[in-house]
Amino acid sequence: MKRIEAIIQPHKLEDAKEALKNIGVDGMTITEVRGHGRQKGHTEVYRGMEYKVDLLPKVKLELVVGDARADEVIRTLVTAARTGKIGDGKIFVYEVADAVRIRNDDRGDAAL
Amino acid sequence: MKEVAVLPPPNPEEVQQTLAGRSAEVEERVRAAYARTLEPLFRAGLAVAAVGGFGRRELFPHSDIDLLLLAESDKSLPPRENISAFLQGLWDSGLRPSHSVHSVADCVTEHEDNAEFTISLLDRRLLAGDAALYQSLEDKFRQFQTRRGASLARQIAGLAEGRRAKYQNTIYHLEPNVKETPGGLRDLQTTRWLLMLEPREGTPDLSAAFSFLSGDRLRLHELAGRDQNALSFDAQESLSDHPAVLMRDYYRHARVVDQAVRQALEVSTEKAGTLLGRFHEWRSRLSTSDFTVSRDRVLLRAHKPPQDLSLFEFVARHGLRLAPDTIERLHGFTPETKWDDWKRMLSLPKASLGLRAMQESGVLPNALPEWRNIECLVVRDFYHRYTVDEHTLVAIGSLESVTDGRFTELMSEIENPWLLRFALLMHDIGKGSGRDHTVASVEIAQAVMERLGAPEADRETIEFLVLRHLDLSSVMSSRDLYDGSTARALADRVGTQERLKLLAMLTYADISAVNPQAMTPWRMEQLWRVYLMAYEELTRELVTERIHDAAGMPAERARFLEGLPTRYLRTHAAEEVDAHFTLAQQLASRPVAVEIQHERGFYKLTLLTRDRPALFASVAGAISSFGLNILKAEAFSNSSGMVLDTFTFADPHRTLELNPPEVDRLRGVVRKVVEGKQEADKLLRGRPKPFLSSRMKLRPRVSFKDDASDGATLIEIVSEDRPGLLYDLANAISLAGCNIEVVMIDTEAHKALDVFYVTHQGHKLGDQLQSELKSELLAACIGSR
Repeated sequence: MKRIEAIIQPHKLEDAKEALKNIGVDGMTITEVRGHGRQKGHTEVYRGMEYKVDLLPKVKLELVVGDARADEVIRTLVTAARTGKIGDGKIFVYEVADAVRIRNDDRGDAAL
Repeated sequence: MKEVAVLPPPNPEEVQQTLAGRSAEVEERVRAAYARTLEPLFRAGLAVAAVGGFGRRELFPHSDIDLLLLAESDKSLPPRENISAFLQGLWDSGLRPSHSVHSVADCVTEHEDNAEFTISLLDRRLLAGDAALYQSLEDKFRQFQTRRGASLARQIAGLAEGRRAKYQNTIYHLEPNVKETPGGLRDLQTTRWLLMLEPREGTPDLSAAFSFLSGDRLRLHELAGRDQNALSFDAQESLSDHPAVLMRDYYRHARVVDQAVRQALEVSTEKAGTLLGRFHEWRSRLSTSDFTVSRDRVLLRAHKPPQDLSLFEFVARHGLRLAPDTIERLHGFTPETKWDDWKRMLSLPKASLGLRAMQESGVLPNALPEWRNIECLVVRDFYHRYTVDEHTLVAIGSLESVTDGRFTELMSEIENPWLLRFALLMHDIGKGSGRDHTVASVEIAQAVMERLGAPEADRETIEFLVLRHLDLSSVMSSRDLYDGSTARALADRVGTQERLKLLAMLTYADISAVNPQAMTPWRMEQLWRVYLMAYEELTRELVTERIHDAAGMPAERARFLEGLPTRYLRTHAAEEVDAHFTLAQQLASRPVAVEIQHERGFYKLTLLTRDRPALFASVAGAISSFGLNILKAEAFSNSSGMVLDTFTFADPHRTLELNPPEVDRLRGVVRKVVEGKQEADKLLRGRPKPFLSSRMKLRPRVSFKDDASDGATLIEIVSEDRPGLLYDLANAISLAGCNIEVVMIDTEAHKALDVFYVTHQGHKLGDQLQSELKSELLAACIGSR
């Protein structure tokens, strides 16, 4: 099993969700986050007052899928969230040791 | 899923009967158990009394049965096994007795750590046992109550405040607990106790609220089969086919209770003389011939309130609240309001308190019948904490507690805050109509403004704000903020920076009032980015967006408009454009056309002429030389080299007002400086140096932007305003050999916001020139040039 964590532009969230739904992936956790990568800290000027923007709003999407589906999900996310500009975000993939459904003790892929 | 029958709505009599019937039944069983177990052993010296809810004969199916076993003294307490036998019988018959054993002396002693016990004794009655013993408790407790009543009231208030704080002091919970949440049965009982201990006039009628809340609690107990008092989403659906209607009724009743308990708590806690109390007393100096202020509460001097909104304006001006007596006297009061009344009240910094007072006293729906559409209207989703009316008032209140520096500054830049507040008052008023609520809200707002006699310009702005109130939120969540077309589309829809500021603050307030946690740093950052993106686009448009081939215009008119910024048409009414066009015709026979108008406390000078170097600075100088204070200015030019300058200024020394010939002289002087027959510098030589306070609040800021337009450099200046500032700034630009293409000057309180588009020999300004000009401008800001 893989845990897929995608940090994307807020306006791409709907597209990403829709694309995942189309390949049959419904369950995910969504968090509003702030951060920066290479599109980092720049200074903005408003009415002559400079202020530092070091944390830009992003959306974090987390989901766990079976190994067989991981590549497909990643490809889908990349296509849906890409604008081609700096700041499009990143996807991280982690190994998951096990999953348990609390309701009925299902384990592994069955618990997803 | 478990099937649950939808239970019938409560009927007050039925509720009363059910509660009393249950009490009577339990009473019988307690008496029987007592007769069987304790009575034979203790003919005298012991009694059993009902206390708490049981004492009040308000017994719910699964609530505890509060019993007091009263003994003569600590030495004559009955042995444990006898009490157990008595309780055993009750337990066995399915009751849940909650008992305590006390001596009479114990009952009339204060228990710091168990105030609940003393409170439960307030509702006591004898069930069985030694009547003489019980009578001695009655007598002693009455004395105790007289002696310690105020202290007991404070304890009750303290417990209530602690409990209410756990629920954030609001009745608005999506899944409220009919017993514990503010506005629930516990608050209702708190009110009754406090009134019992410290009776006062004007006791609120809580009987309808009691029936409703008790009816819900009864049905919740039946539904769950235990002491379950939470109106969860599931429970709401089980109790009613129309959960939203059920909840609307719930909030209506809870609000009555909440208001009553807050008043009662206030009376009990305010007794304690504190330093704060003395400060509040001091504010009684605010009293006027119409209103008395005592302890921050407004009392009416006359029997009836003034017919307009002046009472609420007074509340909003000084940040006060209405006294209970005032609220009572406002019962059924319908003020006669015109647009100006609302405008005056909504311009005040604590306007939300004025509206709160109107709502609390029931005057708001009388003055604004449309308000009834949204009263206690429930939005059933997981985000909205408040009913629609509460959301609206919280939103208006949130403008008064903006903490983020950027939005505080933005708020201070809004020239007509009443437009923002009125738009917020209307923004959701069409909810519950079953149609798209923005459209329905606009229609209602139109009707309201028509009735109040709002001027055309105000109406347009408010209609725009109401119709567009979700636009920024939607851009925030679904548009690429780094894509130029997003900015252009938004700028197009919004039209002017003035409207953008209003819309941004409206969105800020609207989001903040969804629930207390809704305005996250994430949303705030997103909203700011949307604002900034549209603001920069609109500033850029000042020079890039020009009127070209004005459609459907006669040729003469089209020539006049050709090349003026599109902002010109957006910010001027058709009549103003007509007047400017007529003035422009004068240029055929003379080099300068000048007009001065007096309107709404300000003067407005309009000037049309051919462009020439240092024109703008000269006119600004001429106006300042009369001791007049420039508040706003705009300078535009069209393609044929005609310049249209407008200056709005105040007359702080009443020079023009008291000496009408001075208006003609001003017109003459302006003409002369424009024609180059007089120098502004000389005119100003005699003027006194401006008084510059060393504690100038605002650090002057000057910034240059090259990417704002294709052909000109943008200079933005923010500075503390002072007489002659505009002349000094414009003059510095002219002396540097630069030409001013477009100008937009604004003043908010003591803050001057100036935007100049400037060229040097037809091009953008080079780096060297920019840095020289920057220091000149900064020096001009602090008056040291």
